Amino acid sequence: MNPQPNASAADGRPTGYNVHTGDDVRAMLDAMGLQSMEQLFSDVPSSVRLGRDLDLPPLLNEWDLQRDVRAMAAMNESTQTHTSFLGCGAYEHYIPAVVDAIVSRGEFLTAYTPYQPEMSQGLLQALFEFQLLAGRLLGRECVNCSVYDGATALAESCWMMCAATGRRKVVVPQAVFPEYESVLRTYLEPRGVQLLRVSADPVSGVTQAAAVSGLLGDGDVAGVALQSPNVFGVIEDVASIAQVCRDHDVLLCVSVNPVLCGWLEPPGHLGADIVTCEGQPLGLPLNAGGPYVGIIACAKPLERYLPGRLVGRVHDLNGKLGYALVKEDREQHVARDKATSHICSNQALNAIRVAIHLACLGEANFGRLAEANVANACSLRARLENLPGVRRLRAGEHFNEFALELPLPAQRFCEAMRARGIFAGVPLPQALAGHDRGLLVAVTELRSETDLQDYVTQASLCLAGEGGT
Amino acid sequence: MTTPNSQTILDLHRPGATSALFHSVGPASAPQAPAFTHRRKVIGLPEVAEVDVVRHYTRLSQESHGVDNGPYPLGSCTMKYNPKRHDALAQERGFAAAHPHQPETALGGVWELYERLQAMICEVTGMDACSLVPAAGAHGELAGLLMIRAHFRHAGARRPVVLVPDSAHGTNPASAAMAGFECRIVPSDLRGRVDLAELRAMLTPDVAAFMLTNPSTLGLFEDQIVEIADLVHANGSLLYYDGANLNALMGVVRPGDMGFDVVHVNVHKTFSTPHGGGGPGAGPVAVKRALAAHLPGPVAQRVEGVACPLVPGPQSIGRMKSFHGHVAVLLRAYGYLRTMGAAGLREASMHAVLNANYLQHRLAHILPPVYRQFCKHETLLSGEKLNTSARQFAKRLIDYGIHPPTLVGAGCVYFPGDLKSAMLIEPTETETKASLDYQVGIFQKVFDEDATDEALVGSAPLSRKIARIDLNN
Repeated sequence: MNPQPNASAADGRPTGYNVHTGDDVRAMLDAMGLQSMEQLFSDVPSSVRLGRDLDLPPLLNEWDLQRDVRAMAAMNESTQTHTSFLGCGAYEHYIPAVVDAIVSRGEFLTAYTPYQPEMSQGLLQALFEFQLLAGRLLGRECVNCSVYDGATALAESCWMMCAATGRRKVVVPQAVFPEYESVLRTYLEPRGVQLLRVSADPVSGVTQAAAVSGLLGDGDVAGVALQSPNVFGVIEDVASIAQVCRDHDVLLCVSVNPVLCGWLEPPGHLGADIVTCEGQPLGLPLNAGGPYVGIIACAKPLERYLPGRLVGRVHDLNGKLGYALVKEDREQHVARDKATSHICSNQALNAIRVAIHLACLGEANFGRLAEANVANACSLRARLENLPGVRRLRAGEHFNEFALELPLPAQRFCEAMRARGIFAGVPLPQALAGHDRGLLVAVTELRSETDLQDYVTQASLCLAGEGGT
Repeated sequence: MTTPNSQTILDLHRPGATSALFHSVGPASAPQAPAFTHRRKVIGLPEVAEVDVVRHYTRLSQESHGVDNGPYPLGSCTMKYNPKRHDALAQERGFAAAHPHQPETALGGVWELYERLQAMICEVTGMDACSLVPAAGAHGELAGLLMIRAHFRHAGARRPVVLVPDSAHGTNPASAAMAGFECRIVPSDLRGRVDLAELRAMLTPDVAAFMLTNPSTLGLFEDQIVEIADLVHANGSLLYYDGANLNALMGVVRPGDMGFDVVHVNVHKTFSTPHGGGGPGAGPVAVKRALAAHLPGPVAQRVEGVACPLVPGPQSIGRMKSFHGHVAVLLRAYGYLRTMGAAGLREASMHAVLNANYLQHRLAHILPPVYRQFCKHETLLSGEKLNTSARQFAKRLIDYGIHPPTLVGAGCVYFPGDLKSAMLIEPTETETKASLDYQVGIFQKVFDEDATDEALVGSAPLSRKIARIDLNN
């Protein structure tokens, strides 16, 4: 059985988003002097042709599709059905309505990579401004047009450190998000990069500069990949670790929660050569996990090792200022197997979301937002520490997320809280907490006093129900 | 002073202005900064009134070009129409407001979506198992190559080499390098196909895989695919399918039936999810049964009628990204497949091929095809008859509102040999005959201008905010 012209459209009407009627097809074939569409596929060997219809579920019209997707959506719980204290890499923050309105515009949404600068000045400028604002926030000037997410941003940055130094070991503290650690392994081990692990101080949860220093002696360490706040919610001492990195002539990359940079000096100002972040907290919906946006900011000497697209200010023939993709000799379509990365499609539209979000909030409000986060988190943490059997798992300074040790398995506590309409936090893996009672609790500006009080009340009931196990 | 149409967001800064409603955010009662760091004094963000933010970005959008604005025949990028209904569905709160760290049983809709979409992608590609996690085509390639690496490791075989054709997308060799492979380049023959004799000679025992795009980036169907698959498999190697050009073949022939072992799909091309100015897309990877154990998680499965994530086994290549994948993008791909159906997909591919051949035929007298034969969904045209250059021809198209085709250095492909003056045109199936005829008319007009007024074409574009940008990087 061979494909027929208009196989699906006996009445000459196109299917789905196809546009040709039977008459159009006929007219085009006639213009080419062809009898049937089949002639265009004569180079496809008949032995491998499908020869039947694809076995796909029945066709849906627009309202049936809507009903179908809504039925699936209803199978999810969400931050709308439950009050959420979930974090560990993704955070529920306020998103100004302007962000969605702008990125819905077809000129941005349905464009591709701006290979033709003269036709894409607006898109290029939006991406350039993203680079500019992200660089200011993170404290390092050279920012690319985005990578996939926070974990791949850290992995790509580790490779940048290896490429820049020619060395093949990277120090990675134990206290990074488990998902990030596994992405680092996936990305780096095939290239022969060895990860050296260093554990955090068991009391404070802070990775100690002295412990890091102990691993930097052998001369084959490219750099240190730190995360701050770390998996215990604890803010790392970036400046001290930067000092030992400088002392040993190795590079430092820090994966930071970008909202923290509205409260404290960013890693780039504390000596980190590369600062990466998950950009999701800057105007992106949770989306059950994606798409998000990975941001990499680095010092000028490392720019040539950056993965992916880079927008620069350039001049046209008449000397007028404009924007274009620059330094493409780093990229896969030019350098091929010598490229700094394989990345082609990136997260450009989400990078634009970040730019709009930062522009909407502005200097003062971004700082207030960050402070509201830490104030809310401190407020809830202090109240929870008063509950019987509950204490801080690690005692270091935290931002909008902190780790608790519960008197019962965290999984069980979370299920009990979930039944009461609350996502209580993310249980920490035993390997990190030392037991199954560690819980990471995130509190953003969106949690009201009522939400916090409700958490405390429900948690007390859950703990009491456990009979003080 | 900057004029309104050259302002940056920083130029719109007016201290005290804001676009965010923050009335209820409490007083700055944040605790002291930790002893070892400092309170931030200055970030450097502009303060801009909401109306100014909206006007700024509206202007920037107007200075951009998407499929919604007009023809976008950028070869190898499949710039087809992106249905608006799918954008709306992607904002369903049950998905958009779900947190990835919710308990597995609180994400039932995600696993349901994944289980259904995995099955549909397996059917379209002719494969046995699928992971939807990879973030983009290149990410799918990396996942696929890491699985191939794992496959040989578990078999105790040392195969450090990957072969790619000289016409391959740049992502192929770049992904191979990231997966720890050494790359060797297989030349094309005079017909633009893989040179079989060269391939045979290059298939040594250290070759893990041959990566192939079919149709190729030259727009040609690899008609010796059966022989190629046999040669590769006889060598104990695996065959990788770069799905960038799958839009030509849906429902006609499947990669799995052609002998491919690993496939990635660019849903932002084939399944019409928007390209977003460069992303996000998604690059699901599908494999034959023998490789299924290596898939990156989470992979959804159905247990007693309920979809849930399968715990990745010890042979999985591990995690490819922070969370489960690009759920909001994959929802759009699901919407596309459910509203097209089997007949619609096949029709889409046939119309994509019809449109490319129609353009090739109508343009042949001014821009002859490099390979004089039927093309698939895109056609490689020669600029040899032009007085100026393919590049200048392309720049003049901008003045008529048509996005230029893919050129060397302006698009994600690489043309081997002496094809530096060629242009790759992919009209896609969602251009009407009237649109194609209009484009032919414009191409003819620019060709005539090129013949009579070289200076005019040489100085294009003339209608844009800025003149031509020449970069030496």
